[in-house]
Amino acid sequence: MPIANVIRIMRRVLPTHAKIADDAKETMQECVSEYISFITSEANERCQREQRKTITADDILWAMSRLGFQDYVEPLSVFLHRYRQAEGDHRGSLRPDLLPIAPLLKRHSSSSNSHQSNLAFPLLPPPPPMPMPILHDEAPPMTAHPLPLPLPLPSFATAAVMPPSQMLPPFTAAAVVPPPQHNPFGQMYGGDGMLGGYYAAVGMYGDAGGGGESTSSYVPAIAPPNFDHHHPYAAFK
Amino acid sequence: MRQAGAYSGLLSGGIGARTGPHSLPLARIKKIMKRSASGSTAAGDEVRMISGEAPIVFSKACELFVEELTRRAWAVTVRGKRRTLHKDDVAAAIAATDIFDFLVELVSESNGNSSGGSGRVLS
Repeated sequence: MPIANVIRIMRRVLPTHAKIADDAKETMQECVSEYISFITSEANERCQREQRKTITADDILWAMSRLGFQDYVEPLSVFLHRYRQAEGDHRGSLRPDLLPIAPLLKRHSSSSNSHQSNLAFPLLPPPPPMPMPILHDEAPPMTAHPLPLPLPLPSFATAAVMPPSQMLPPFTAAAVVPPPQHNPFGQMYGGDGMLGGYYAAVGMYGDAGGGGESTSSYVPAIAPPNFDHHHPYAAFK
Repeated sequence: MRQAGAYSGLLSGGIGARTGPHSLPLARIKKIMKRSASGSTAAGDEVRMISGEAPIVFSKACELFVEELTRRAWAVTVRGKRRTLHKDDVAAAIAATDIFDFLVELVSESNGNSSGGSGRVLS
């Protein structure tokens, strides 16, 4: 083992004023190699007994518990579990159907009314190829905006500059705000959503009409999953 | 849809760091494992393979091991009212701890060497 790494680990548990003699560092270095050999030999014997060709992580943990290092098994299992999770997250992270927002999205699009097209889909981390068609199908035909896709952009721009603290009040107001009146032109240019969101954010959501609803409709659904998603990576940085 | 670039960039931000920094090199661990898995068995020649996760477990296990041995050795140092951790302290800690019995030979053997003034050649 590289001696610098060993020394770094030693210093972690020693008080800052402690000194380490060179012979102690070298001894520790030898001990680590011996430790790996010792455990591996035991794991190897088990594999041989059971006629397996590959020494697995489980064999290593088993050998440790057999040789007196039971106390290591639990922290190592946790470590291994987290490692496997991170690996799994990495493989699946770009698939929208595995993201934590997927259920929220479904629930939302089924319970929401005709303002669905104002959902801020650009706020979702990956552009979801799956939910789009669903949304399109469910949108009532009488809403006068045949092209739902380009609409969310202005809303997104508004949402992006508003700090989360300002976006929360509309959510609490959502229950008392009546369903919005449709304004195709306003929606076309993002005016309804934008202004409504703006007034809602500054505390005038009581009479903001459609805007309040449209703003509140996407904020709570989107914000938390963004944090959830970053968590696995943050744990390994 | 049009925001794909920005958000996929956001997503992939943490991927490079997914395995975390291993404080001990995996390749070195694997080399030591190979040596002790093929050399010391009764069957001898049989080639044993090592799963990718095994060295990762070891990288953490070795940290725990070094930490524990260092802590015990430092306890010996403190008992002797000194501030420098010496090899003798490590040897004393090994002698006093059952689970470190497999290291007794190693430290007593190198004790003999170092009394002659030369250190062991390290691999």
